[in-house]
Amino acid sequence: MRWVSGPLEIARRGRAEGFSLQNKQILERFHDPASLDILKNSAVDCLVLSWAAGLTEDALQQKSAGPLVAAARERNLAVVGWVENTADPQAAIAAARSAGLAAVAIENFKGRSDFPVIPWGDRAKMPWDAPGPVLAASGNVWPGVSMPGGGSSAGPTGAPWVDSNGWFLQMARARVSRPLWLMFDPPAKGRIFAAADYETTVCDSEIAGGRWVISLDESVRAGLIAGNPAAREIFGRIGASIRFFDMHADWRTFRSLGVLGVISDFTGDNYEMSGEILNLAARRNLPYRVIWKSQALAQPFTGLKALLYADRQAPEAPLRRKMMAFVEHGGLLIAGPEWGPEGAPADPGFDTQFAVRTYGKGRLAVAKDELADAFQVAGDAQLLVSHANDLVKVYNAASVGCTLVLGSPDGQRDLVQVLAFATGWSSGARTVWVSKKYSGNTRLWSIGSAQPMLIEPAPADEYFGVECRIPAGVPGYFALEFEA
Amino acid sequence: MAGAGAAGLALLRPARSWANAPTAPVAIARCPGYGPEFLSASEKLFDQLGGLGRLVKGKTVTIKINLTGEAGMRLDHVSAGRTTWTHPRSVATVVHLLDKAGARRIRIVEGAWAWAASLEEFMYLANWDARLVLSAAPRVELVNTNLPYKGKKPYTRFPVANGGYLFPAFDLSTAYAESDVLISMAKLKQHLTAGVTLSMKNCFGCSPTTIYGDKLPLDEPSPVPYGGRGEIGHAGSRQPPKSAPPEKDPKSPREPGYRIPRFVSDLAAANPINLAIVDGVETITGAELPREGYTKPVNPGVLLAGTNCVATDAVAMAVMGFDPMAERGTAPFQKCDSTLKLAEELGVGTRDLKQIEVIGVPIERALFRFLDHVGPVPPIE
Repeated sequence: MRWVSGPLEIARRGRAEGFSLQNKQILERFHDPASLDILKNSAVDCLVLSWAAGLTEDALQQKSAGPLVAAARERNLAVVGWVENTADPQAAIAAARSAGLAAVAIENFKGRSDFPVIPWGDRAKMPWDAPGPVLAASGNVWPGVSMPGGGSSAGPTGAPWVDSNGWFLQMARARVSRPLWLMFDPPAKGRIFAAADYETTVCDSEIAGGRWVISLDESVRAGLIAGNPAAREIFGRIGASIRFFDMHADWRTFRSLGVLGVISDFTGDNYEMSGEILNLAARRNLPYRVIWKSQALAQPFTGLKALLYADRQAPEAPLRRKMMAFVEHGGLLIAGPEWGPEGAPADPGFDTQFAVRTYGKGRLAVAKDELADAFQVAGDAQLLVSHANDLVKVYNAASVGCTLVLGSPDGQRDLVQVLAFATGWSSGARTVWVSKKYSGNTRLWSIGSAQPMLIEPAPADEYFGVECRIPAGVPGYFALEFEA
Repeated sequence: MAGAGAAGLALLRPARSWANAPTAPVAIARCPGYGPEFLSASEKLFDQLGGLGRLVKGKTVTIKINLTGEAGMRLDHVSAGRTTWTHPRSVATVVHLLDKAGARRIRIVEGAWAWAASLEEFMYLANWDARLVLSAAPRVELVNTNLPYKGKKPYTRFPVANGGYLFPAFDLSTAYAESDVLISMAKLKQHLTAGVTLSMKNCFGCSPTTIYGDKLPLDEPSPVPYGGRGEIGHAGSRQPPKSAPPEKDPKSPREPGYRIPRFVSDLAAANPINLAIVDGVETITGAELPREGYTKPVNPGVLLAGTNCVATDAVAMAVMGFDPMAERGTAPFQKCDSTLKLAEELGVGTRDLKQIEVIGVPIERALFRFLDHVGPVPPIE
C-alpha cells in the first residue's frame, strides 16, 4: 500500500493549490505509528513510503519515519522506500539500510547494490532488464470510464472512453515473470470514489496478473484516520478484492489464449503505436497474445489466427521468414506499408486502410499508408481476424467492459474473466458464450464468495460452443473457470 | 388545422385508393420450433400459397432478414433469434426451399444499425454461423445494404408508387434493383414507435444508413455509416444528403409516431415485397427489443406467409390479438398512425380481414394475445 505521510509528502503536496491544514494534519497522522492500526486484519503486508525525492525534506522524512518503520516491522509489515530519480540512489539505499527498510524502489536504477532494490520507471520506458525481486511501473491510468473534469468523454465511435492498465500488464507479463506493481493514485480532483471504483481498480490490474499498490484518495485516508465507517467499508472491500486474487494466485501463471499475436519491440515510437493497439484491441475484446520481437523467433505461433506487426522497422530476415511461413500455412499477417509486395490482391470485404492479398493458404493485409491511427488499426484488425474467431462473447454486458481469456500452463484449465468498468451498472441476466465445447461443471467465481458457484454450460442455441448463464446479482467482475 | 392550410395539406396526401387495395391469401401454420419442424411447416405454408416455384423459379431472390438492435443484447438469456431477430435456422431453411423451387440466385440482405463491414461479419459478431446460411443453397450471397453496392451503381432510385407520404422516392442499395423477388422475413412483434413490426416495418432496415442514417454529410452519401436511423426516419431533424430526394414536406410533423409509419408505408410502395414471411414461432412481447420488466419471451408457435405484405401483416396483427383496422389511439397504435392503414391508402394492399382469404390454421386457433403476456413495468421510449 502506498503510505502517504511525513514531511516529504507535506513538502510536495503543499505546493498544490487547495492544500489545507487538514490535509497536512492527515499526512502527519499517517506518519504516526498509531496510524498502522487501520491495517489491523487487512490484506496489506507491505508499505511503500516516500523516501527520497532530491528535496531538502528527504533527510527529515527518513529520520522521522523511524518509529513508523519500527512499528511496521513489529506488525510483520515490510516497508519499501520510494526513491525518485532526482534523489541520490546510493544515499537513499544507505538510509534505508540504516532505518531497517525491506527494500527501496528506485526510478531507473542502473547501479549495483547488495541491498534489495526494486527498479521502477514510467511504463513507456520500463527498465525491463534491471535486476530486482519486483518491477514497478508508474505512468498508469485510473481504470474506469474516463470522465475528465467530472463529465463523461467519448471515444472516436461515440462510445464512452475507458481507461485500463490491463494491456500494459499483458505486455509486461510477456516480457518478465517477476511480480509487477502498478503505481497510480486516484485522480486528485473532481470525483468521489466509491468502494466499487476501488474494486474495479484492483480487478483491472489483478486479472491481467499485476498488482495495484493501493493508493487511497484524500477523503478515504481522512476517514480511516477518523474511524469513519464508510471509509472502513471501502478499505475492507479493497482488502476483500485483494484476498480474492491472492486465493487464486495460480491464475497469475495463466497465459493469454488470444488469436492475434501482436509483435513489436514496444520501444519508442513502436511502443506508442503497438501499445495503443493493444489498449484499443482490449477495449474491443479482441483476444491477443503479446509477442516481444526479441522472443518472436523462439516462440511458436501455435493457436494464433493472425499476426500484427506495426513496428516501423522491418523485422530481421529470419523473423520475416517465420512470419511469411505462418501466412503460407493459412495465417493472416497485418503489417505496415513497408512490408513488401508479395501476394495477389483480394477483396477485404469492408472499407479498410489495408490492402489485402492472398499468399499461400493465408492472407497479407498491408497498410496502404503509414500506420498513424491505432484506433483504426485495432478496428480493422478485429474485422480482418473476423468475429468468426471470437473466443468469448458476453451478452447483456455493459458496453464498457473487458474480457480476458487465459489458459493454465499445463493446458488443463481455461479462465474467462469479465470486468465491467461502468460502476453502479446493474448486472442483469448476462450470458457468456465460449467457443470451446467445455463439458462438466464450470466454476463461477466472484469477489465476496469463498466458494464458487457451479454452472453447467449448455450447447449454444444458434452456433457452436457453449453458453453459461450468469445469475442475476453476480457483480461487475466474475471469472469462469473451465476444465479444459 | 382548418381552412386554407388544411386544404393545402390535403393536396399533399396520396389519393385514397384503399377501396381497391389488392389482396392475396395468407397462410398460417403451426410451428413449435426452429428444428426440422420449421422445414415441414414452411413447405406446407408455401404449398398452400400455390408453391414457391411460381414466384421464384429462375429468379434472383432477395431476402430481407431482421437483425435489429445490438448484437450483444438479449432478453434475459434467450438468444436474439428466439426473440427479436429472424432465426438463423429459419433463414437457412427458406434459402434451401428457394433453391429447391428453382431460384437462380439468393441474396440475403440487411442493413444492421451502423454496421460498416460485411453482413457475414455481422452474423459472426451476432454468433450466427454464416456458413450455415451460405451453404444452404449453391448461389447464396450476403449483402450489407447499408454500404454502397459493389459495381458501377451503388444506389438506385426507387420512386414511391402513388406519390408517397414523406418521400417521393428513396435511394436504396442496387442489390434491391438487381433482384426479381423481395422476401421480407420478419418477426411477429410489437413496436414501441410503430405499434407493430411485421413484414413492412422489417423493411425500414432497407434504407441505407449511409443515406438515411445519422451523422451524415450534407451532399453525398457517407462511404460508411455512422449511426442508426434516428435523425431522418424517427425525428426528422434533418434531410438526407442532397444526392437523395428530400422530403415532400419538411414542415410535416416531426413526431416519430407520425413519421415511422409513413416512412415504412412509402418504402413498401417503393420497393414492393413479393413474399411476406412472419415468424411467430418464438418471439418477444411488448416491444421490438428487450425492455426490462415489460417484454417477455414467448412461444406462440405460429408461422405466417402471404404474397401481399399488408394483407399478411393484417392477419399477423389479428393473430397477435389486435384489430388490423385499429386507428391511432387504439392498441397497438396508441401513439402512432397505423402503417397498415397508410399502406392500404397507398394502394399496397388491404388490411380488411373480410377481404383476405386465410388458409391453413384459422386465426382463432392461432390467436396469441400479446397484451396478455407483457410485464407490469411500462417501457420508456
